[in-house]
Amino acid sequence: MSTASASIPPSAEPRGLFASRQGRIIQENLTAYLFLLPASLIIFVFGIFPVGFALYVSLHKWRLVQGGFLGLENYSKAIDVLAYVGGFWLGIGAAVVAVVTLRRTLRGAQERAHSLLDLGIWLIPAVVTAAGAYLFVRFTVLWLPEILDVPNKMQGQQRTPELFMQLLGESFQMPEVSQAIGISLVTLVVGLGLAGFISRRRPSAHAGEYYVNLSLAVSAILVAVLVLSFTYIELERAYAEALAGGEEPPLWSQIVAISAGVVLMGLAWLVWKRVGGQSSNARTALIIMAAALLMAGGWILIGELPGVIAEGDKDLFQGFVVTVFYSVGTVPIQLAISLFLAYLLFQNIRGKAFFRVIYFLPYITPAVASAAVFRILFTNRPSGVMNRLITTFGMEPQKWIQEPRGVIEMLGTGAGVAIPEWLAGPSLALMVIIIYSIWTFIGYDTVVFLAGLGAIPGDLYEAAEVDGAGRWAVFRHITLPLLSPTTFFLSLIAIIGTFKAFNHIWVLRDTGALGTTDTVSVVIFLEFFRNSRLGYASAMAFVLFGVILSLTFVQNRIASKRVFYG
Amino acid sequence: MAEHAPTLSNTAQATAVEGGRPLRQVKITHLLIYVVLGFGVFIAVAPFLWMVSTSVMTQGEALSGQTFPKEVQWQNYADAWEQSNFANYVRSSAVIALISVSGTVLFCTPAAYAFARMNFYGRNFLFALFLSTMMIPEAVTLIPNFLTVTWLGRISETVTESWLRPLNQGIAPETVAQINNVLNSLWLAPLDPAQPIGPLTWIDNWPALTIPFMASAFSIFMLRQFFAQIPDELWDAARIDGAGHLRFLVQIVVPISKAALTTVVLFAFIGSWNALSWPLIVTNTERWRPVSYGLSKFVTEAGPDMHLQMAGSVITIIPILVLYFFTQKQFTEGIATTGLKG
Repeated sequence: MSTASASIPPSAEPRGLFASRQGRIIQENLTAYLFLLPASLIIFVFGIFPVGFALYVSLHKWRLVQGGFLGLENYSKAIDVLAYVGGFWLGIGAAVVAVVTLRRTLRGAQERAHSLLDLGIWLIPAVVTAAGAYLFVRFTVLWLPEILDVPNKMQGQQRTPELFMQLLGESFQMPEVSQAIGISLVTLVVGLGLAGFISRRRPSAHAGEYYVNLSLAVSAILVAVLVLSFTYIELERAYAEALAGGEEPPLWSQIVAISAGVVLMGLAWLVWKRVGGQSSNARTALIIMAAALLMAGGWILIGELPGVIAEGDKDLFQGFVVTVFYSVGTVPIQLAISLFLAYLLFQNIRGKAFFRVIYFLPYITPAVASAAVFRILFTNRPSGVMNRLITTFGMEPQKWIQEPRGVIEMLGTGAGVAIPEWLAGPSLALMVIIIYSIWTFIGYDTVVFLAGLGAIPGDLYEAAEVDGAGRWAVFRHITLPLLSPTTFFLSLIAIIGTFKAFNHIWVLRDTGALGTTDTVSVVIFLEFFRNSRLGYASAMAFVLFGVILSLTFVQNRIASKRVFYG
Repeated sequence: MAEHAPTLSNTAQATAVEGGRPLRQVKITHLLIYVVLGFGVFIAVAPFLWMVSTSVMTQGEALSGQTFPKEVQWQNYADAWEQSNFANYVRSSAVIALISVSGTVLFCTPAAYAFARMNFYGRNFLFALFLSTMMIPEAVTLIPNFLTVTWLGRISETVTESWLRPLNQGIAPETVAQINNVLNSLWLAPLDPAQPIGPLTWIDNWPALTIPFMASAFSIFMLRQFFAQIPDELWDAARIDGAGHLRFLVQIVVPISKAALTTVVLFAFIGSWNALSWPLIVTNTERWRPVSYGLSKFVTEAGPDMHLQMAGSVITIIPILVLYFFTQKQFTEGIATTGLKG
């Protein structure tokens, strides 16, 4: 980019202030920031800041206005003891991040034959900067309630911009707030100053990298310590409260058991990964070991989780169950059908563009409108389209979107078999939503698959043909493996999509289905929209966020082994 | 050849010859492919055909489950438009889409340009930060954004009110009426006869519905990918002619990036037109409620007006459909290359 432009002589006349080379760099920086300003402002205010703000809200009682600080209570109300488990794991995760960053930086320094001092000296500005960042967050937390209160204070007064500015100034002048901002800014400036000083004294091409990495590592340690101690304090408080109430909840044992279960399952995964390069005896032993670990972990978790579910928020857990049904019901079928269609479209046929346009239609139409159509296609009236269709096959008319009973249960009843409650399966109403989703997203998946198919080099097919491979063999051994990045990407998008889905579920949900179609997103939205419990809903949203992040992480881990990029 | 892809090779199986197959065989295989693909077309299109058909039925025909109407009832569209308030919803949606799409183009283009073609401190970090916002589920941001917008709205109301006060006092009542008329015809009226130019609130007004969507990481990402491909020679030439970044962007980059900008406009428009959960929480009167809200309310409040509901669906779909058919090439390519949707 601009490296090439550096060789070009600067435009005719030098422009005063920015004439020198240094000046031009500064000018380019300033122009770039100016270009970025509006978009950054919006993305920061409505995309990045809300995450911190939501965390803040979730730690409070917050109906329509801010209430008192609750700590982890919202979380423990939603997912019981898992809240503390999550807190501890988050802290441990931050510590791991710190260690990994440190190790990577250290190794880099060793490779460049830098002495420990070359790297270690950067710890000083890094610690100061991390402290400054922490102090800045502290200032935000102190300042936020004040600034949120400004409009309330303006109530009943002559509302002028001057008053607003004055109140804004006052919120700064609160002793704690002004101290907090002062300390944080001073610390940050000192940190940056120290960094500048060191880079002058010991110039190095990797100075910036060391500084940033070490600052990140120290911040991560700070986060780990804060999160762990906060979770511990909250846990002790909850325990004391329960004791005062005459109960003695086995919080610690639950936490240890659940964590142990997760660790065992993680170990099973690690052992399983080792299986590959071993001789057959070691292999058998490892597989048995992995299976044993998996079973032990699973057994512990199965023992503990029902208690957690019983104590936590029923709607939320029901929401997760519905979401899992929804994911499992849509994603594989949707991918299989669209891969099939894309494969057919990829053959040497006419009218490719036409088919592509048509298949894409359901995806492009506003979800509210197409869901409205499905709502009426799958109406419970006997005269509805779907009901007429199935009655021509000799089946009874169904209630469809108003049917809360599980499909397996319904099949069982039809066959005269009593199905236990836990095996009832997704409700028929949810099945309608699943059918709708498959119908909608096939077009999108097909188009992406088509692009993926087009990217597979043709000479591979030719080589296979020369070797006499049949169509299925080519598909199985060339197309599928080379398509795996696309498949992985689509399944990731699709699964995350089912966790975020809202519009069509909102339109297709019916009170008759008794909440059996409410995915987590809908449960959270209702908590906010109907019950106006902002703090609690935010806590649930963070639980969802955590689940999505862990899913992405796990999927990435699995994919890194199974996906063939190349 | 132990296994075969079911529809492709069953016919080819019997006489499959390595390398080329006899012409007749190829034809049969192709025929089968067309049959399967055609069935797919039917599944994809049937609900829409049924929707259109039902939208021109009488209420009785729709309820009794006819496939086609005896007589086409165009009147249904007028009824949905007038009685069910769709005129108002479509107007709101159009204005909201117009404002947020313009904002997206105006704000994201320079940002994408900076990321693609300028050197500045923290570029990679900032870009990664922007991209990471795409991971955050709406459920998390909905509540804090509601609080932020409420706060900003109350501040904005205060500030604009006092700015406008002298202006409003200095205007004669006749002028007030005239201004109101003009604003009304532009669908932007503050509708307060005493105050022609009312204070700018956010909740239940266009700012809450548009400003948060005026910049998205997705749009910036897409434009950046395109801008980064523009050859450096163009920039060199522009610099020799004495152009700076801004002139280069406006006079050269934007004109040659029409395809990318069209895609961004499309995605932004569709995103805005489809939004449902955000309008549900930041509107509390009918004035600025968009068509997705109107339709979802209309359909979920169980009523016997199936024919009108379907007419409403058609009205909601048509703008997107028109846009899609005019730009479907860019659209599918945009999806295929980024694999993402806004």
